[in-house]
Amino acid sequence: MLNRRSFLTGVAAVSFGLAHRSAWAVTGDAGAFIQSLAESAMNTVAVKDLSDGERVNRFRTLFVDTFDLPEISRFVLGRYWRAANDGQKAEFQKLFEDIQVYTWTRRFKEYNGETLELGSVKPEGDADFIVDSQMKRAKLAPINVSWRVRRAAETFRILDIIVEGASMAITFRSDYGAVLSSQGGKIDGLLDVMRKKVDQLKLG
Amino acid sequence: MAEWEQVNDPLEPMNRTIFEFNQAVDKALLKPVAQGYRWAVPQFGRDRVRDFVRNLRAPVVFVNDVLQGEPDRAMQTLMRFAFNTGFGIGGLIDVAEPGGIPYHDEDFGQTFAVWGIGEGPYLVLPILGPSNARDGVGLATEWLSDPFNLYMDRIGQDWAIWTRAGVAGLEKRERLLDTLDEIERSSLDYYSALRSTYRQNRAAEVKNKLDADGQR
Repeated sequence: MLNRRSFLTGVAAVSFGLAHRSAWAVTGDAGAFIQSLAESAMNTVAVKDLSDGERVNRFRTLFVDTFDLPEISRFVLGRYWRAANDGQKAEFQKLFEDIQVYTWTRRFKEYNGETLELGSVKPEGDADFIVDSQMKRAKLAPINVSWRVRRAAETFRILDIIVEGASMAITFRSDYGAVLSSQGGKIDGLLDVMRKKVDQLKLG
Repeated sequence: MAEWEQVNDPLEPMNRTIFEFNQAVDKALLKPVAQGYRWAVPQFGRDRVRDFVRNLRAPVVFVNDVLQGEPDRAMQTLMRFAFNTGFGIGGLIDVAEPGGIPYHDEDFGQTFAVWGIGEGPYLVLPILGPSNARDGVGLATEWLSDPFNLYMDRIGQDWAIWTRAGVAGLEKRERLLDTLDEIERSSLDYYSALRSTYRQNRAAEVKNKLDADGQR
């Protein structure tokens, strides 16, 4: 009995220890994921003397690989998501991606030596992690940026970026929700507004 | 996340009207002036203006530190005010920060929040921009209780109050040039995006404060 009990205790201890260690390893990975994302953005998108088209292409590749666009789209559309048909969903996702790609590409074009310094990583909910970081700027106060990431197979996907306490996903949801209500709740009305936004962003 | 589901904007039609007015004034006057200021005055000069304006507000920050029950932070603010006013040429140079006493901001809106008062409905104030009932009352309280303003009013030098408000506003608008451009560019409805950003940002400022204490 004693042997069996100590055996079970041993098993429990080992499995708990392993579970604990793997949770820790995953936590570390989430930070490493953001670190490597920041590095590849610096080395591919933020480089000087790149044509606008090439910069857009490079960022789009990075963005589609690292952001969970379907999940973000669902969140941003909220209750309107279920009302949308497949064509509208696909169109929304495409336009949303374009809007993000053009605004982010411009940010990287204006890149001015900022660096990302990683902070702590905390688990959030069942499968997510919040990675804290600070964007250091020359002569200006650093900006607090937190990344919400979700485990996806061997890697992670970004769900949200929280800048000085303001979540981009929540801001988009509020923004797009307002446009939807002014369009009488019609997805096609929102898609029209989004198309105009993409054209405007392409120009400037 | 549930609390952000509500837009908390019962006065939206009025707010949007004021927002349109603010946008017009901003495009025609405030933003170009802030851009001109950034262009004409080198970083060093703008830093001196920022330090001076901040130092002038130290008494208000001090009062709010005290009202929030933060003796350590109140002491920091007091020391900063003494050092910067004395050794920093009337506050033009922040000598306390490199000396190890960092700057922190505080206002009556945050104090009311710490006391448990909710934000109230979202408000867009003429010229001053995004706010809410609680923060609006906070701004008015600050305007009426600021020692510099009270003194200048008493000796009949009202121009000093308005000049100071103008310089502080210019400094703030210059600081926000990129942030606001960014929000406007990346949003479909600038009004809603700004409202959401303001509310989240204020909530985080209050929450950080509460987390730092670990108790409230």
